[in-house]
Parts: sequence; structure tokens; C-alpha cells
Amino acid sequence: MPETPVLDIAHLTKRFPKLVALEDVSLQIPQGEIFALLGPNGAGKTTLIGAVCGLVKKTSGTVRIFGHDLETDPLPPRYFVGLVPQEVNFDPFFTVRQVLAFQAGFFGKKADPARIEELLAALDLTSKGDTITRTLSGGMKRRLLIAKALVHRPKLVFLDEPTAGVDVELRRDLWSYVRKLKAEGTTVVLTTHYLEEAEELADRIGIIDKGRLLLVEEKSALMARLGERRLEVRFGQTQTALPAKLQEQGMVLSADQMGASFIERHGTAKAPALLGQLYAANMEIAEVSLKAAKLEDVLLRVLQNGGGAEVSA
Amino acid sequence: MNVVGTRTLLSKEVRRFLKVPGQTVLSPLISTTLYFVVFGYTLGARQTDLEGVPYIRFIVPGLVFLGIANNAFLNSSSSLFITKIQGTLVDLLVAPLGPMELLIAFIVGAMVRGLLVGLLTWGVALFFTGMPSLHWGATIFFLLTASYVFSMLGLLAGLWAEKFEQINFFPTFFMLPLTFLGGVFYSVDKLPEPFRTLSLFNPVVHMVEGLRYGMLGLAHGQVAFGAALLLVLTVITTAVAYALLKSGYKLKV
Ligand SMILES: Nc1ncnc2c1ncn2[C@@H]1O[C@H](COP(=O)(O)OP(=O)(O)OP(=O)(O)O)[C@@H](O)[C@H]1O
Ligand SMILES: [Mg+2]
Repeated sequence: MPETPVLDIAHLTKRFPKLVALEDVSLQIPQGEIFALLGPNGAGKTTLIGAVCGLVKKTSGTVRIFGHDLETDPLPPRYFVGLVPQEVNFDPFFTVRQVLAFQAGFFGKKADPARIEELLAALDLTSKGDTITRTLSGGMKRRLLIAKALVHRPKLVFLDEPTAGVDVELRRDLWSYVRKLKAEGTTVVLTTHYLEEAEELADRIGIIDKGRLLLVEEKSALMARLGERRLEVRFGQTQTALPAKLQEQGMVLSADQMGASFIERHGTAKAPALLGQLYAANMEIAEVSLKAAKLEDVLLRVLQNGGGAEVSA
Repeated sequence: MNVVGTRTLLSKEVRRFLKVPGQTVLSPLISTTLYFVVFGYTLGARQTDLEGVPYIRFIVPGLVFLGIANNAFLNSSSSLFITKIQGTLVDLLVAPLGPMELLIAFIVGAMVRGLLVGLLTWGVALFFTGMPSLHWGATIFFLLTASYVFSMLGLLAGLWAEKFEQINFFPTFFMLPLTFLGGVFYSVDKLPEPFRTLSLFNPVVHMVEGLRYGMLGLAHGQVAFGAALLLVLTVITTAVAYALLKSGYKLKV
């Protein structure tokens, strides 16, 4: 990476009395990237974000934001960092607009009603602007958290499960909002258990389990390397066998002899090529389906392998 | 120094207690006024003058002190504690608010409430007793330092407490005995030994005596000592609170 990474984590370890939540994690994130941090419950995602955002005291290692070491220079980078925490919180006394105005003020921003209205509109909260935050619905509270995290126009944003409990429509809106942030040069670190979300948004993916970062890779490269596409074909009539050439490439006849399937992996033949060969062999094809590679399967494979030799790049 | 951030948090702190004025201002004002009426009038009628002033006048500075100490303490302790419990602490920790910013906002916010209740109590008392002769300098000094020290103590309690039970621990087991043994309702000079000497180790005694000197003009040998003691307490509580906030004690995991 030629320029200073926005976020530079080196050998970060966090020990709790009874367990190691982060173990020797190193990670660099360049400006303008959307980085998805994936892993099962308790993997250490929130702890990692907390160590960067000033909520967690690290045991050892260094964290640099925009080149500032948090150890010696904890406050200056904070002006440019935003966090949507995983846990919903709310203030029992103040309204949505007041809470947003306070949050902007904490970050040293003078009152900017236009910015607040813009966020309320983007998060579909305008009609709730003067409601006491305690009385918002669960999903609305989470949307308010997102607005709070963005009100000071941060350059680095952490979204810790931002769409948990948010309805489908707003989730789509949020995705386009995140893309807009990226277009403006904002760096986004995202955790989510909706893998579709990571698949939609992420440039790079990090997979963490039991406090250890198992792999970090470009999403497209990761999908190409570990993604599996499944080709299913149904024939017009019973087949006794597949042509030998197709069998050699890994295609198998189904038990009822009315269909065949093929799993396309890194290094195997391509599914469309096999389909072409079926046509060329004059087999009567009634139905074809090709299931796209799923990040979900990739994640499961990586976790099962524990980042072992087969999956590491 | 994040000036806008500090000012925002301070204004939030003040608006927080002004949202529920019945609970945070009116109710303490009523209870101190009741002390005043009950102790001052019923007892005062039978009490001889203390140190040359009628009893009803004599207890005013102590009651003003009670209003200040209790409310300053309650404000910073409960505000910080609630922030921790309801999770809005995150909003402060992610922001560029360092120990200095947090200290100023929480302490000044608590002082405003303490002084508001204290001064209103004084106003009510003046209505009954009339304006006495004053040492303005001493009055202001002891009002400010007493409210400052108790705001700091409240902040420390709020930092330390993790359960509701713990946050109620201080007012009951610490503040109440210390203030009631602090010469609010009597003259420490009249206590038999060894209680008189023991009382001098209670900092509250010096705060009350200092205010009595300022607000009633009653001179005591220990006023200068009291002032020095308060300055020392100011420095110690500030240093401890600053160090704890800087270390993230019970704020960060
Ligand atoms: N304050 C704490 N004290 C002790 N252990 C903790 C604390 N906070 C988190 N942990 C532990 O650290 C580990 C990592 O937790 P973390 O919240 O980072 O997981 P996560 O990846 O965010 O999980 P999820 O997907 O459920 O949000 C867990 O085993 C958790 O129990
Ligand atoms: Mg988490």
C-alpha cells in the first residue's frame, strides 16, 4: 500500500481474565475501502472494533488511525471516526434531533440543522425527529444509531451489525448509502451476519474466529478461489451413462439417471464448458440451473478448516 | 482541548436535570426548607442564641451546604452511572472527549445543580431571617469549593459503581453521617471532648464553618485552615478523578 493506510493494526492482542478475545491480529485498511469482518458469534469482531474506537483497552500491539498511534495520540483521530455500536442504546430524556445535535457537538461540530435533516431523511426518520428516543421502535433506534455515527461526517466508519433488525427496504437504502459514502472517499469497516450484505458491499473480506484473523482477501479473489458453483441438469429421458470425458471432469449422473450435477471449484473445468459438451454430445436437456457461489459456503469452509493450509492464500 | 464538545456535554448535563426540575431542584429545595422550618422554628424557639445569633439564622449556612453537597454529589454520580448503565457511555468514548473534557462537563454540570439548590435554599432562608452581614469573598470561595469537591466525589462514586445498590451506598453510609455530624445543626465548639477534636477531622465541619463565617460573619479560628483544607481536597479529588478517567477505569473494558 503506497499511502498511509487509514487503519493500521499490528499484533493486536486483547486478553480478558478468562479468555483471549483477540490474538495477534494485524490488519491494514486503505482509504476508500469497504472491509467486511466476518466470523461467528464471539469471534472477536466487536472487541476488535472496540479496541480501535476507544472502548476496549488493548493488552498489547499497536493501532494507528490516519497514522496516529492511539497509545500516544488517542484524541486527534477520533474527530474522523464514527461507530455504529452493536448494542442499541438510547437516551431517556432527549428527542432524536437533540441527540443528533449533541453527538455532532461532542465531535466539535457547531450546530448544523441541515446535516441533521439530511440524515433523518436518508434514514427515514424525519417524521420521528421530535420524538423522545426511548419511544422509538427497535429498528428505528438502530437507524438513529447510524445517524449518530455519521452526523460528524467521519472519514472512517465502523458498522457493527448495522442492519440487525432493520426492515428489508431500509436495508437496501442503507446499502446504497454505504456505497455513496465510499464514493465520497469514506472508509467503511462492516460486520454482519447477513452474508448477502457483505457480498453486496465489500471490497475485501476478513474472516476471524476465536480471536484470530484467519484470512484477509479481495472478495472477488476469495469467491473465485473458494466459491463453489453448482450446475444441475435434467435430461429429457433416462441416461445409462455420461460420456467418459464429462465424467473425467467431475460431472456425475444422478441416482434416478434423469439428471447430472457438477460442482465448479477453483481449478476445475468451468460449468458453461461442460454444458456445451453435453449439447455437443446430443443429449436432450430439459432443465438447467446454475447456483451462484455463496459467501456463506466460503465462510463455512474457511471456519471448518480453521484457516489451515488448504484455504490460506 | 475540544471546546465545542465540552460545552455540548455541559449543556446536555444541565438540560438533563432541568428536564425533571421537580425531582432535581424542587424536591431538594422543599426538604431543606422543611429542615429549616422544623429545626429553626420549633427548636429555635427553645434554643438560646448560638454564638450570638438566633438559632434559626445559625443553621442557614449548614442547610445551604446540605443542598449544595447532596445535589452536586447526586448529579455527577447518577448522571455518569446512568450513562454507563444505559450504554450511552459509548457515545462519549468514541468522541474526542478526553479526561479533561469529561471532567469539566460533568463537574460544572453538577456544580450548577448544587449551587442552584443551595442558593435557592439561601433565598428562602433570607425571606425568613433577613439579610445578614456578609463576607462575600469567603462565601463565594466556600460555595464554589464545597460544590466542586462534592461534584468530584459524586463523579468518583459514579465511576466506581456498577449496580444501583452501590450508587445508593454513598449518600446513605457516607454523606448522611458526615453531614449530620458536620455541625450543620449545632456548633462544634460546644461539643464535649473528645468529640470536639474528632469533629475537626471531618472536612464537612470546615466547609460548614467556612460558610458560617462567610454568610453570618461568625469568626472562627479555623477558617483559614478550612480554606486550605478545601484547596487540598480540590487538588486531591481532581488528581484522582483525572487519573481514573485517563486510565479508562470502569469505563473501558
Ligand atoms: N467485557 C468482557 N469481559 C469478558 N469477556 C468479554 C467481554 N466482552 C467480550 N468478551 C468475550 O470476548 C469474546 C469476543 O466477543 P465479541 O463481542 O468481540 O464477539 P463478536 O465477534 O462481536 O460476536 P457477535 O457476532 O456475537 O457480536 C467473546 O468470547 C466474549 O464473551
Ligand atoms: Mg459483536
